[in-house]
Amino acid sequence: MIRASNPEARQLARTAASWLALLDSGRASAEDLQRLEHWRAADPRHEQIWQRAEGLRQRLRTVPPTLAMACLDRPATSRRTLLKRGLALALLVPGGWLLSQQLPLAVWRADLRTAVGERRGVRLADGSVLQLNTATAVDLDLEQHRLTLVEGEIALSVSRAQPLTVDFGLGQVTVGQAQVCLRRDADRCRICVLQGTVQVRPAQGMALALQYGDQLTLYTDGSGAMGRFDPRAPDWRDGMLSVDNQPLGQFLREISRYRPGVLHWEPGLESLRVTGTFQLDDTDRILALLTASLPVTVQSRTRYWTTLVARKQSA
Amino acid sequence: MSEAVALSEQTLHGLYRDHRSWLESWLQRRLGNRWDAADLSQDTFLRVLASPQVLEELREPRAYLLTVGKRLLVNFHKRRSLERAYLDALAAMPEALAPSPEQRWLLLETLQALDELLDGLAPQVRRAFLWSQLEGLGYADIAGRLQVSERTVKRYMAQAYEHCLLVES
Repeated sequence: MIRASNPEARQLARTAASWLALLDSGRASAEDLQRLEHWRAADPRHEQIWQRAEGLRQRLRTVPPTLAMACLDRPATSRRTLLKRGLALALLVPGGWLLSQQLPLAVWRADLRTAVGERRGVRLADGSVLQLNTATAVDLDLEQHRLTLVEGEIALSVSRAQPLTVDFGLGQVTVGQAQVCLRRDADRCRICVLQGTVQVRPAQGMALALQYGDQLTLYTDGSGAMGRFDPRAPDWRDGMLSVDNQPLGQFLREISRYRPGVLHWEPGLESLRVTGTFQLDDTDRILALLTASLPVTVQSRTRYWTTLVARKQSA
Repeated sequence: MSEAVALSEQTLHGLYRDHRSWLESWLQRRLGNRWDAADLSQDTFLRVLASPQVLEELREPRAYLLTVGKRLLVNFHKRRSLERAYLDALAAMPEALAPSPEQRWLLLETLQALDELLDGLAPQVRRAFLWSQLEGLGYADIAGRLQVSERTVKRYMAQAYEHCLLVES
């Protein structure tokens, strides 16, 4: 793609761009609009570049937003790693995960555990990669090709044909040349397939195969729910939590998983809505961000005792 | 045919004969397969052909071929990753909302053109622009999501527009 480099073209583009940025802000005054009309009429080149800008905006309006976002805002990591030979492992494990430094390289049998707020990754002796999210416990027996998720959340990537079987209490899932995310809570288990296909055998009910993008939730009462999720959205493996119009209560319960101590909130706040992408490493900051966008305040009695209350109308 | 062009073709033939298999094996190491490597090596020579004036004074032909080849390789990977993201997004869409088969290629082409247009923008700037244009988010919302001021968002928007408008039409 060739971009104009002469100073005159640059200046023209810059002026048009600042008009466009003002228009999109929704804060252009009637006077601004009049000045814009003047500018466009002052020179045919002004009008010409304006028409090009209109064309661009038009083109952006014709593409389906969700689809276009997924494509044009695809994770930069995958673009970068692709350039480095598309090495599968590198793709699966974000840069911050220092695998071999955290455990001996060849792990055969181990009981692995992470504290609240901690995340870590382990490369297993068979080449598989296991990532543990906050407050997670896993028992590992590679000789038996078995792994038990005792509590918490893991991502497992198996690159070999020899599958690993993960026991998650409410059933088992067999992972071979695939990648899954598993979460075990008190009353339910959730399996998300990030790559390939896996076999699930619920303790109650029929065995089934899940594919890329499938999400299965099993409940302790024996029921289950199938759904789809977006495997490309940033998640805990990237150190992020991404939510779209989520009820505040649900959001805070999620944040509590990553936060030592007690987090309370007034019941009235439960149904406020949260949208955004947050860094899990600093939950204090997340709470501070909430106070910026929602009518809430944070009251901290100690570092480990925090309450969110509705903000009082001042003045 | 003028003498200059004939000379260029002569040089190109020599270039092709001497360096094609070397370039192809270099590309193959990076792509992991022969077919794409062969395609990209052809494209590289076509690019070189399109600028014959350089050929006469080419002192380091392999370095030059690599420069062109690398650029094509980067573009190739960007296209691939966009295609993958596109297919994934289509697969994740409810049937009723997905575009019809005949729309799919057109849409992919539009997205590829937009991707190329936005290429080179800083990630924050690109994201702010996409949120505003595709999702219709206001500057205040974008500022909140990116954790920057509204004034910064406005600057990002101007940067993105300027970048797009500087493309030679």
